[in-house]
Amino acid sequence: MLQAPALELRSVRRAYGSGPSATVALDDVRLTVPPGRFVSLIGPSGCGKSTLLRLVAGLERPDRGDVRVHGVTPAKACAAKMIGLVPQTPALLPWMSVLRNVTLPQKINPGAGRRRKEIAASIGRDSAGTAPDMRELLAEARLGDVVHKLPAELSGGMRQRVAIVRAFGLRPDVLVMDEPFSALDEFTRESLQDQLLRLWDELRTTVLFVTHSVSEAVRLSDTVVVMAPNPGRIVESIDVDLPRPRGERLFAERRFHAYEDLVRDRLRRAWHGDAASAGGSRA
Amino acid sequence: MTVADERTPVTPGAEPPTEPPRFGPRRPGSRWAWVRPSVWLPLTVMLAVLSALWQYGARRLPYLLPSLPDVGRSLGANPGYYVHNALVTLGEATAGLAMGFVAAFLLAVLTSELPLVHRAVMPIAVVLNVTPLVAIAPALVVAFGFGPLPKLIITGLICFFPILINTAAGLRSVPLPVLQVYRTMDAGRVELLWHLRIPHALPFLFAALRIVLPLSIIGAVVAEMSAAGSTRGLGTAISVASSMNQLPVVYASIAVLAFMGVLLLLAVSLVERRALHWHDGRQD
Repeated sequence: MLQAPALELRSVRRAYGSGPSATVALDDVRLTVPPGRFVSLIGPSGCGKSTLLRLVAGLERPDRGDVRVHGVTPAKACAAKMIGLVPQTPALLPWMSVLRNVTLPQKINPGAGRRRKEIAASIGRDSAGTAPDMRELLAEARLGDVVHKLPAELSGGMRQRVAIVRAFGLRPDVLVMDEPFSALDEFTRESLQDQLLRLWDELRTTVLFVTHSVSEAVRLSDTVVVMAPNPGRIVESIDVDLPRPRGERLFAERRFHAYEDLVRDRLRRAWHGDAASAGGSRA
Repeated sequence: MTVADERTPVTPGAEPPTEPPRFGPRRPGSRWAWVRPSVWLPLTVMLAVLSALWQYGARRLPYLLPSLPDVGRSLGANPGYYVHNALVTLGEATAGLAMGFVAAFLLAVLTSELPLVHRAVMPIAVVLNVTPLVAIAPALVVAFGFGPLPKLIITGLICFFPILINTAAGLRSVPLPVLQVYRTMDAGRVELLWHLRIPHALPFLFAALRIVLPLSIIGAVVAEMSAAGSTRGLGTAISVASSMNQLPVVYASIAVLAFMGVLLLLAVSLVERRALHWHDGRQD
C-alpha cells in the first residue's frame, strides 16, 4: 500500500488583506514531504515561510489550494494531536515546573488518541505507541536535574529544550518548528541542534523547520526548501545528501560547505528575482 | 471624603496595567532590614514631627482637632465598642467585596468567551464605572432599609468594575505562542480557560484586589453614613459622634478604619506572595 505523504500542499495561496492592497504571502505553493524527512524552509523575510508553517499547523487556512497532513486536513490532524509545534519563544507556563509543563499536553484533548488511531488505520500507518515517559525524555535532553524547577529558573537554551521535549512528548507525526533557535547564541544553538538531531534520530518524525540560518538548514535537513518573496513562493528544493549522524566534524567537511554555498547562491538569486521558476518543487 | 478621591484608582477607560504591580526580588536578609536606623529612622522622625504639629493645632483649635492623648484614651476606655463596630464594617466590606468579586469574575469569563456578551455588557459596565456609586447609597437605603443589604450592594457595585476590567484583561493576556502551541493540540475552550487563561489572569486579579480593598471599606462606611437609622458600624459611629461633637471618638474610629485597611492589604500581599511566587522574575 502506498503511504500518503506526511505533508502535501497543492497550489496553496494565502493573502492578507483584500483588493489591490493585499499582500500575497504565498502563491501557488506545491510541496510534498514523505514521512520521516527533515525539511527546512529558508528564505528572506516576507517570503511566507512562517505562513506556510502556520497553514500546516492548522493555525490558518489557505485562501486557495489544499493542505494535507498524512492525508487529512490540518484541523483534523490537530484534533488527533498529530502535530507538535515549537514556536520561536519557548512558550512555557511560568507557574508550572518543567515536568508539569511537558506533561500537560498529554492531559489536553483526551479524545485525540482515538481519532489518531482511526486516521492511522485509514491511511495504513502504524499509530504512534503509548505516551512516552516524560522524565526519561527530559533526561535525554539533559534536563533531568531541573525537572522540578520553574521556567524562570532556567537559561534560554534550557527553556527552548523544554519546549522541544514538550513537542516530542506528543510523538507527533509532524513536528513544526518556527525558528526555534533564533534567539539563542551560536554556541547554545549548535548544542541544541545536536540534541534535536539525537531526539529526531530516535523518533524519526517528519519535521518542518523554519530557519534564517543557511548552515543550520544544511546541517539538520534532508531537504532545504528555498523560498522567495513578493509573492511568497518556493523556488527550489535542494536535497542534502550528507551522511548521518551529523556531528561537529561535519563543519570541517568540504561537501557541507558546498551545500551551504549552493543554498546561499539560490537565496541570492531568489532575492534578486531572477529565479525563473516559481514553485515547481520536487521535494 | 469626596467622590473624586475615591474613584482615582480606576480612571474610566484607562488601560489596565499590562504588567500588574509585583514585589521586588526578595533579597536574603531583607527580613531584618528594619533593625537598621536608616530604615526606621525617617518614618519615626516624620511621625514625631506630624504628632507635634497635630498637638500644636489641637491646643490652638480645640473645637477642630482632639488631642492625641484624648483619642488614645477614647480607644483605651472602650475597646469593645471599636472592635465591635470595626467587625461590623469589616463584615460588610468583605461580604460586599466577595459578592462583587464573584459576579465580576464570572462576567469577565463570559465576556472573554462570548463576544456577544462582551458587546452587550461592557458599555453598561463603563457607564456604571463613571457613575459615582456612593450617590446611589441614599436611594438604596430608601429601597432596602437600614439593614446590611444596601451596604453590601454599594460595596459590591464599587468593587465590581475594577475586578471585571482587570480579570477580562488578564484572561486575554495569554501570549500568542502559548495559545498556538495548545491550539495545535486542539485544546477545548474549557481546557484553555482552566489551564491557560485563568492562571494568566491571577496577577491581574491580585492587582484588582489591591485597588478594590480600600474601595470596599469606603463603600461600607459611606453606606452606613447614608443610612441615618443604622445602629452599628464605624461609619455610623463617626456620624453619630460628630453630631454630638465627640471629636476623640470620630478620630479614633478613623484610626481604626485606617488600621483595618492596612491589615487587609497585608493579608492580600501574603496570599499574593504564596500564589504568585512564579511571577517574580517572569520569563520571556
